Amino acid sequence: MEYRAIWDKRRPSMPKSCWHPRLPAENWRNRMPELFKRRSSWPWLAPGMLLCLIVPGLAGAVPDTQYDDLRPGQMQSGTLLMRMQAGYRIATRMNTDIELKVSGLVARVSVRQKFLNDGPEWVEGVYVFPLPDDAAVDRLRMHIGKRVIEGEIREKEQARKEYEQARSTGKKASLVEHRRANLFTTSVANIGPGEEITIEIEYLQILKYDEGTFSLRFPLTLTPRFIPGAPLPSRKGSGWAPDTTRVSDASLITPPVVAKSEDHKVTLSANINAGVPLEIVASRYHPIDVQETDDGYRVSLMNNTAPLDHDLELLWRPVPTAAPRAMIFSELIEDDPYVLLILLPPNESTTNAVVMPRELIFVIDTSGSMHGASINQAKRALILALDGLKPTDRFNVIQFNSTTHSIFSVSVAADTRRVRTAKAYVRGLKANGGTNMRPALEKALRATTTKTHLRQIIFITDGSVGNEQELYTLIEQNLAQARLFTVGIGSAPNGWFMRKAAEAGRGTYTHISALHEIDEKMERLFRKLEKPQITDIEVEWSDGLKPITYPETVPDLYAGEPVIVKARLKNRPRSGDFVRISGDSAGGSWGGELSLAEFGDSSGVAALWARARIEKLLDDERRGTDPAETRAAVVATALEHHLVSKFTSLVAVDKTPVRSLSANLNKEQMPNLMPYGQSQQAIFGFPATATHAPMYRMTGITCLLAALLLLAWMRMGGSAREFSAAS
Amino acid sequence: MNFRPPLKARASRIIVTCLLCLGFWQFGQGAYIPAKAWVAQELMQRAWRRAETGEEQAAPWPWADTFPIARMTVKGGDIDLIILEGGSGRTLAFAPGHMSASVLPGEIGNTIIAGHRDTHFQFLQYMKKGESILLETTEGRKYLYQVTGIDVVDSRRGSLVLDTESPMLSLVTCYPFAAHEAGGPMRYVVTATMLF
Repeated sequence: MEYRAIWDKRRPSMPKSCWHPRLPAENWRNRMPELFKRRSSWPWLAPGMLLCLIVPGLAGAVPDTQYDDLRPGQMQSGTLLMRMQAGYRIATRMNTDIELKVSGLVARVSVRQKFLNDGPEWVEGVYVFPLPDDAAVDRLRMHIGKRVIEGEIREKEQARKEYEQARSTGKKASLVEHRRANLFTTSVANIGPGEEITIEIEYLQILKYDEGTFSLRFPLTLTPRFIPGAPLPSRKGSGWAPDTTRVSDASLITPPVVAKSEDHKVTLSANINAGVPLEIVASRYHPIDVQETDDGYRVSLMNNTAPLDHDLELLWRPVPTAAPRAMIFSELIEDDPYVLLILLPPNESTTNAVVMPRELIFVIDTSGSMHGASINQAKRALILALDGLKPTDRFNVIQFNSTTHSIFSVSVAADTRRVRTAKAYVRGLKANGGTNMRPALEKALRATTTKTHLRQIIFITDGSVGNEQELYTLIEQNLAQARLFTVGIGSAPNGWFMRKAAEAGRGTYTHISALHEIDEKMERLFRKLEKPQITDIEVEWSDGLKPITYPETVPDLYAGEPVIVKARLKNRPRSGDFVRISGDSAGGSWGGELSLAEFGDSSGVAALWARARIEKLLDDERRGTDPAETRAAVVATALEHHLVSKFTSLVAVDKTPVRSLSANLNKEQMPNLMPYGQSQQAIFGFPATATHAPMYRMTGITCLLAALLLLAWMRMGGSAREFSAAS
Repeated sequence: MNFRPPLKARASRIIVTCLLCLGFWQFGQGAYIPAKAWVAQELMQRAWRRAETGEEQAAPWPWADTFPIARMTVKGGDIDLIILEGGSGRTLAFAPGHMSASVLPGEIGNTIIAGHRDTHFQFLQYMKKGESILLETTEGRKYLYQVTGIDVVDSRRGSLVLDTESPMLSLVTCYPFAAHEAGGPMRYVVTATMLF
């Protein structure tokens, strides 16, 4: 049973304590400080309550005045002051609803962000949020009460101008902007006091299909990124990091983070129509309810909501006999035919395949952002990998944070003694410092090669960096014959980095977000590392179709991976038209043919093709094509297909002004929830630094005073009684 | 009628006794915290001398789950504190704690040390720009830092940089200093850069 430790609907009779995916031992340890904190606060609670009864007014006088005596002269950092003056409490609250429809291989997802202004003033809400790294964002709707305003696609600067104009003239407006492939910003202007505005964003996504299982991952929060480089004098946004020479938009991608929140909840409603009978529908990290419906399955979160602090992953697997080997989806838009096809190469016995000896270089991220649950997961995964080494392999372990260090100066043979040394080294690793990834990657890629061994780099990290592009270039330029495999660790790893780094490194990526799934997922990775690849994959189309395909050349495939091709055809296919796919592997050559005669109507295929095209154009820019040309091509594609991209944004503006221009508008940056299992202290460095001693002393003195007063009163009362008795 | 003891008086007496007990207990607690902080520092100064003579990770008392990592001298020796590893509440009760996620003194990056505003780090309110801070590690290496910035930040929004291009030191405590309640969001941060 591969899915032992995950959620599925077939096991409803387990005791509740075992059910909860958050109960594993590692999490208890994380919760401990919280318990301690709670316990230490009660001793003064009882006398405190007494105090409130005896000396009303005193207790009320203590708080509130606390922060009023900030003297501007003490403060050096102007931006911090400004943000503090904006108020400690953010008036805007927000929750997220996710609704998704899966048909076949494509998911259309609607994300509704509800902004509720609790305060007495007009507010502009700004929210930085993650989306899947390959999402094609194509729709924006602003819901004001019952009215709906559709968003329009514009070039980025034009969209911002329209939004800012609406904002300053008191109109309601919203704007969705691209920051990174997996990081977007929503801005909502002129939310009235007590008002709620819902921003609905829709996107399309291709499911991941690996070893016969479909999966879909939603990032719900982001791990604070490491920002290298020297600070620049000005800043574009209001994030916690300044813009720097190496990450020029750092202040836009570093929203504030809160450890706990009453809001920040997500609800999920999913309709899965896989087109084939399913064996299992499951969620990896969140408890779910699954119902069978006429056309598939309906999935929702158990208890309806979950906090926005952990990626959500749904997966389902067809009954093995019905598992599709090939699928084809097509769409016709303005006479342009688009095709999306997926083909799974046959499983082959690899018993007689010659396996080349390997040189495995493990790179482990030991930076501060890995502190907490992540580093434990990473260490376990790495130890498992070390156990899987064969005596013929060579290996090395490199760790990096602010600095880089490797256990051996060059790769060594994986004999028992050295593996034992390495395991001890890994067990002793601690997470601290910055995520200075570049030197570690350089070290792994540039180490002198041995011709006899195939170099495989296994890169274990949470990818919490802001200089992604710089690193992709580094990998591409130095890869040579090596292969790079990324393993994403933690509750909210940077999925875009994982996928693109693996793509640049011609390997695969794996996500590990909980201790209980390490064994299963590492085993799957080992299969990919050990089994020979399928190479030289060729896609051949009938004459006259003249397709533009993405990817242009299909990369080598690892065990269990399908070929996925998106294409725009010149002409509509006629009967008899086909596409043929072939490849070579250690077991021999292989090929398959799909008929294109039946042209279907699967909405979204065109948008997904356009999304792939934009990604390709930007990749080419990194490799040296002209930036102006790239920009023009991206803008043209994005405008045609209504997609948010690096150079285009969606903007929705209401026609009627609602805020009188004399009223103030406060800008509020929505915080994100700290990823589950991570300690805020590790990243932000702010522990609790006050004791209860002054409070104790005050309570003590008040109690003693009250006792004295009562005694005095009793004396007086007593003498009064004596007096009345005598008379 | 008179043989029944007056109920009111009896109740009052119980309340007075309770209040007195409560008062002394709370006052005692209030005195115990700074006392513990002071005694612990004394014990640690001894552990420090043991560490100087070569004992590795010398624990200040047998059951301690932490160990001294540096000694901080400020204001010409008026303030002389031993810094422990870790920033948990237990550690901070005894000494200022070095955040394990930050780098060690002298290394490239930001060394973050936190302390309680009402015990060890009370003196931070009197620190001024330009003053020097001396950190001495267990290996006997000495690093001199100079205060370059004093900030008040909201811990829910601001952050401390972990990675800097040169060795830095951040001393963190709660703000405001005169507040009675613990658990407020504001922090007082003294930033210093390493001179040598």
